[in-house]
Amino acid sequence: MISDITLGQFFPGFSPIHKLDPRTKIILTTLFIIEVFLADTPLLLALMLLTTVIMIGVSRISFAVVLRGIKPIFFIIIFTAFFNIFMTKGQGEPLVHFKIITIYKEGIIRAVFMGLRVIILILGTSILLTYTTSPISLTDGLEILFKPLKKIGIPVHLFSMMMTIALRFIPTLIEETEKIMNAQKSRGADFSQGGLIKRVKALIPILVPLLVSSFKRAEELATAMEARCYRGDKNRTKLVKLTYKPLDFLWFAMAVLLFGGIIALRILPGHISPDSLIYDILFYKV
Amino acid sequence: MKEIIKTKDLCFSYFEYSDNDNVNQAKIDVHALVDINLTVNEGEYLAILGHNGSGKSTLAKLLNLILTPQRGNIFIDGQDITKPDLTEDELFDVRRKVGMVFQNPDNQLVATIVEEDVAFGPENLGLPREEIRRRVNFALNTVGMSEYSGHAPHKLSGGQKQRVAIAGVLAMKPKVIIFDESTAMLDPRGRKEVVDIMEKLNREESITIINITHYMEEAARADRVIVINDGKLIMDGTAKEVFSHVDELHSIGLESPQGRELINELNKAGLNIDTDALNEDECTEAILNKLKAI
Amino acid sequence: MDVLELKNVSFVYSKGTPFQKVALDNINISFEKGKITGLIGHTGSGKSTLVNLLNGLNKPSEGTVLLNGKDIWEKPKEISKIRYKVGLVMQYPEYQLFDETVRADIGFAPRNLGLSKEEIEMRVLEAAKFTGIDDSLLNKSPFELSGGQKRRVAIAGILAMKPEVLILDEPAAGLDPRGRREILGGLTEYINHNDASIILVSHSMEDMAYYCDNVVVMNKSRVFKSGTVKEIFSNADELNDIGLDVPIVAKIASKLKKSGIDLQGTLYTVEGVKEAILNYIMEGKR
Repeated sequence: MISDITLGQFFPGFSPIHKLDPRTKIILTTLFIIEVFLADTPLLLALMLLTTVIMIGVSRISFAVVLRGIKPIFFIIIFTAFFNIFMTKGQGEPLVHFKIITIYKEGIIRAVFMGLRVIILILGTSILLTYTTSPISLTDGLEILFKPLKKIGIPVHLFSMMMTIALRFIPTLIEETEKIMNAQKSRGADFSQGGLIKRVKALIPILVPLLVSSFKRAEELATAMEARCYRGDKNRTKLVKLTYKPLDFLWFAMAVLLFGGIIALRILPGHISPDSLIYDILFYKV
Repeated sequence: MKEIIKTKDLCFSYFEYSDNDNVNQAKIDVHALVDINLTVNEGEYLAILGHNGSGKSTLAKLLNLILTPQRGNIFIDGQDITKPDLTEDELFDVRRKVGMVFQNPDNQLVATIVEEDVAFGPENLGLPREEIRRRVNFALNTVGMSEYSGHAPHKLSGGQKQRVAIAGVLAMKPKVIIFDESTAMLDPRGRKEVVDIMEKLNREESITIINITHYMEEAARADRVIVINDGKLIMDGTAKEVFSHVDELHSIGLESPQGRELINELNKAGLNIDTDALNEDECTEAILNKLKAI
Repeated sequence: MDVLELKNVSFVYSKGTPFQKVALDNINISFEKGKITGLIGHTGSGKSTLVNLLNGLNKPSEGTVLLNGKDIWEKPKEISKIRYKVGLVMQYPEYQLFDETVRADIGFAPRNLGLSKEEIEMRVLEAAKFTGIDDSLLNKSPFELSGGQKRRVAIAGILAMKPEVLILDEPAAGLDPRGRREILGGLTEYINHNDASIILVSHSMEDMAYYCDNVVVMNKSRVFKSGTVKEIFSNADELNDIGLDVPIVAKIASKLKKSGIDLQGTLYTVEGVKEAILNYIMEGKR
């Protein structure tokens, strides 16, 4: 049944990452993305890879499951890798030279580097955020983090309410789509045959009822919310209060440490002789 | 006894455009309710019967000002809520006192987690966190859904969703709960769950219950039944009184519970069973006594 | 003669995943031609799954579904033809309405069948007649109608296919007693005119008693019992054991019998019990 799909790929659990405040996770994720883009040498990239692997371990989500998350973007990674291999011009002799195809050492290094970078980025952000944070606490976290924007007239509460309701109704609408499709199939509708125009036309008997019922749902929900005294964020309190715990500060500290390390390693090259072997291993620039 | 709800000459009409292909479409009033005078006492268990489109749901929506009447007055807990200078705070106080559970269980749950949904009302009331927590626990406990507090609503059965919706209303500490055809979309098991909770809330929490329904068996369980037809209040009495008018109910497209229908048929055949029996046991006994007497 | 027959049918949802669920377990039943067969059971007993198998929306994991003695999955590509022969009216069918006019919406299935214009119009009018839709409504938008009228239009949309078997899932849900009677009465008329059969899924034992010839009781993915209405409702205790009820008049009749009143006849409708009681009195007087 389609309605069984996990929403936003959240895997419930009780690991130290699961227990973090959603705000912490949002901030850490932002930091992580910056760090990955700052990591431009094999050493730094290896450091980020290590960090990611440790985080996966801590999250107690199986590696197999996490790696499956890369599947949808696998094609893009392969494509960019190929692009890099063939298009990068190196300085030395090409490794392969066959008709119009020339491959340089630099091209391969670059391809591996770019591929790894994308993979680390996807793995890291999903482990920190999407796999370990329920959509609802993510929404809560965002609402609080963006609260200052209310001062410049952005209706933060409204956006967060909309997001909550969207999350609530996605499974319901999926179920409903399934039902309507079955109903129209029972009236001889065919969604799998014919050309593009015919197929698009075949969607009308699904989309119209879906829209009509969504409007009806929206209206009924609005009435129900009004009946439960909803009046925007005026005078509104919350059941769940987000509080930073020692664990959050520990993670912040580690993140800052990592960030500092990366900056240091980026400045360091100036202090080591560029001719030495160590320099080449550590700071090979791509 | 204290009057919790009182309406005086209450009228409401929807506007519709007449059906002529004429350019001058006339706006016509469709009277949904005409001169409703109804008094409900605190702690009553009341059922409102009527066929589809009779106006019974409109009445419910007027009582907590989701709709505003064109004419007439409504008094909730002694306060005139139809006065022109009703403040916003007063309006929300009415909605707190008169809670409502709707028909479609899916379209009244807001949050993605059961306990957060129950908290929605108290959150809107601006209550302190500890108080919200207390009320959520109490409400979920009362409807027997505590063990589902961390579940996602869309995975629950229809009856369970309605119980969560009831908890959401209960957490606002209402004086009245109106069930607007809340059992119509449920299976018999879900229906029983919901009706049992209605009765429990009425008995144990002294909450005034108004059940709008067209299941006769459900209405028969209430202490008092009123019947609305074409926007008019046409019958008002105990369940036994109202359901004894079998032929009158038929004429407006309603029925009595089957036992009562049977006795009515037998009486038409000349048996003359003189009884106000309504439920299965009472009806059996009345028929049995008659048969023995022959 | 049997119009539909299930032989050793099983159905498993999401086979081979952690969500695997057996919905039907070795079902063997048949539905008599020209009769109204009721299908009762709790939510989750397998009723809905069974219904989806009967008109080919789902394919049985094991076993065969026979329509007039032929396996409906013999030619999987032609399964949509089966759906015209076994018309399915789902729960709350008004959600499938989409076309501009009532006439066009009822005509959707006949159009998919590729019928001539005249034939389509004829079928629309006929279907409207059986469902009690006034001619004046035919040019209106289905979305302008009342809830009860929409329900009729949706049912007419299936009748217009002239199905040999009509399956209805709670066709009267949410309607008042008069609406119930009118819809179910019209359907009885339809099968009498067209030599068709009905499978009626409902929770209402009163409707079962009043309209059905036979009843199939489902419980926990299996057929619990099947037989004529009289057979099924004469044993209230058995149904009570699985949490189902018999009509209230049937209970009253059985209590009277237990008190020594010897009633004979159809003891599950108001009419029937009345006759039985009157007969009992007549007998006594003789």
